[in-house]
Amino acid sequence: MTAAAQAIVRIGESPRTPVSIALLLLLPITLVDAVGFLAPIAYLLRMSFNEATGGGGLRETFTGQSYVAFLTDPFYLGLVGNSVAMSLLITGLTLLASYPIALFIYRAPAHWKSVLTIVCISPLLVSAVVRTYGWMLILGDQGLINATLRGLGIVSQPLRLINNATGVVIGLTEILMPYMILALLAGFGRLDRSYEEAAQSLGAPPFTTFRRVIVPLTVPGVALGCLLCFVLAISSFITPKLLGGGRVFLLATEIYDQAIVILNWPLAATMSIIVLMVFGLALVVYGRIVRALD
Amino acid sequence: MASPDSATLPAKPAGTPHLVLEGLGKHYGGVAAVESLDLSVQQGEFIALLGPSGCGKTTTLRMIAGLVDATAGRIVVGANDITYLPPYRRDFGLVFQNYALFPHMTVDQNVAFGLEMRRVPRDEVRRRVGQALELVRLADYGARRPRELSGGQQQRVALARALVIRPSILLLDEPLSNLDAKLREEMRTEIQDIQRRLGITTIFVTHDQIEALSMCDRVAVMQAGRLVQLGTPFDIYERPRNPFIADFVGRTNTLRGKVKASGSVEVGPLTMSAAESPGRGEAVLVMIRPHRITIRAPRSSEVDAQLNVVAGRVTRTMYVGDILQYDVDIGPSILHVEQPTAAGPQPFGRGDDVQLEWSARDTLVFRGGP
Repeated sequence: MTAAAQAIVRIGESPRTPVSIALLLLLPITLVDAVGFLAPIAYLLRMSFNEATGGGGLRETFTGQSYVAFLTDPFYLGLVGNSVAMSLLITGLTLLASYPIALFIYRAPAHWKSVLTIVCISPLLVSAVVRTYGWMLILGDQGLINATLRGLGIVSQPLRLINNATGVVIGLTEILMPYMILALLAGFGRLDRSYEEAAQSLGAPPFTTFRRVIVPLTVPGVALGCLLCFVLAISSFITPKLLGGGRVFLLATEIYDQAIVILNWPLAATMSIIVLMVFGLALVVYGRIVRALD
Repeated sequence: MASPDSATLPAKPAGTPHLVLEGLGKHYGGVAAVESLDLSVQQGEFIALLGPSGCGKTTTLRMIAGLVDATAGRIVVGANDITYLPPYRRDFGLVFQNYALFPHMTVDQNVAFGLEMRRVPRDEVRRRVGQALELVRLADYGARRPRELSGGQQQRVALARALVIRPSILLLDEPLSNLDAKLREEMRTEIQDIQRRLGITTIFVTHDQIEALSMCDRVAVMQAGRLVQLGTPFDIYERPRNPFIADFVGRTNTLRGKVKASGSVEVGPLTMSAAESPGRGEAVLVMIRPHRITIRAPRSSEVDAQLNVVAGRVTRTMYVGDILQYDVDIGPSILHVEQPTAAGPQPFGRGDDVQLEWSARDTLVFRGGP
């Protein structure tokens, strides 16, 4: 027996060792997360209690001033409402656009399934910035849509599809679709053709079968996809910035402005913490849904 | 084993046919899964579609259910052509091989589903769901989820769900093949009882000849997309129309031979008598079921034209509890022989000289072979 093999046998003899091996294997990612994720969040939390002095100055202290400022200002509260509402809208539209595609892919023959999945997630190979610029070309006053509509004589004035909420919603919906499709496909595991056939044989027309059997069986995928897209939508920054043209005010863009333009880091940190709390709330809702299914 | 004289043939229900398949066919591209299938099922009849996997029996059932479109022929129920009627308007009860119980619903909700689709009033739904679950002896399981039930229980819920809508026809797609042997035997009797009690026209797809023979009034044997024999279980087993059926429905010894004279076949140096045979000189396959052969110590027998007597030597003995299986070398071939075990005599062992005897009636002769 070699020394290594003996060592393995010795490790195997101790009842505690499997746990220590697991801890050992978890150590690298724990360290990376601690340094790269937990520490910055702790720093952010600390920053949100600092005091901003005029002109971008910063004073180390411990004050709830930024929170008070945020929670008493109707503009900021409106931002939260706006961001949540718009993210919910985008999530809903992404779901509507992705569900039929995901269902189609799920039902496709095995050899088509992987091809179609790759086609659907291929937009992820292009950065969101580039895709956003693409949408600016399509949605702009001189863009593809307006040029076509005017060419056909359907409208005389260009439709305002950009530099407003419409543009942000359209752009983000498309950008988030690959994530939604992937999440739906992952959550469709319980779906089986025989359930639909059973429903039909029991007298359920196609739409009733969809409503009573297919939809309930796909709720896990829908919940997962919606959580993912909601979080991505509310934290997205580049797309609202570019397609909103500075006229759409959301938490993410406001954080950027506060941190980079106005240099009020405590307020920016406060808003970041608020966004984190919204995420936490979304997670709680998701957890409730998943538990209700079991 | 019952002799043909003593066996009673199950009575065929009289009356107008309930379900008629006329030249039914299903082609996938150029490949025929089912071809020009004609079948007429009587009201209340229990009929099996029997065949190996890929013979088209499930496709046929799915065409009857409306889950697969026929590419040729017609499906007629009573006076109505339902070939192109969508499945949700057919009013047939369907039980799947994997049961297909809705996992997000309780047993009660599963059984109630078909009634809700028919807009049956709530009280009546509750009453009929209760009755249906009682029928399958699961009255106390209504609040459970399908995954909390055993395979046999799920199977019975699937049956209750299909029956509660009082379907005109019950379609069973290999309903027993996911159950273990013991349970399968129980469910055979149970399904048969329920079918008899309700008198519901039933089509039962299976690849298991024992299920088909033991449960059904008539058996339709399918081979490569075609119906090759339709008859009572007795017909199918005792008078198979071709070697495939003889081999598929029950086990058999197959020997190659040549017809010497009417009712007499040459197999190598041996001559065997058969009840029926093709014309003189034809190459034939001779088939004898293992349990129809009697094995005994060599002795002189009276010459009887109706009895085949062949000497042989045992090459293998297997004791399987309820039966003894022997391989006996008879010269041109090795015959498998099965005898019920008895506490008395010692079984023959390897190398023993024995004498095999079987009736001419048990010698099935088919045209074919080199």
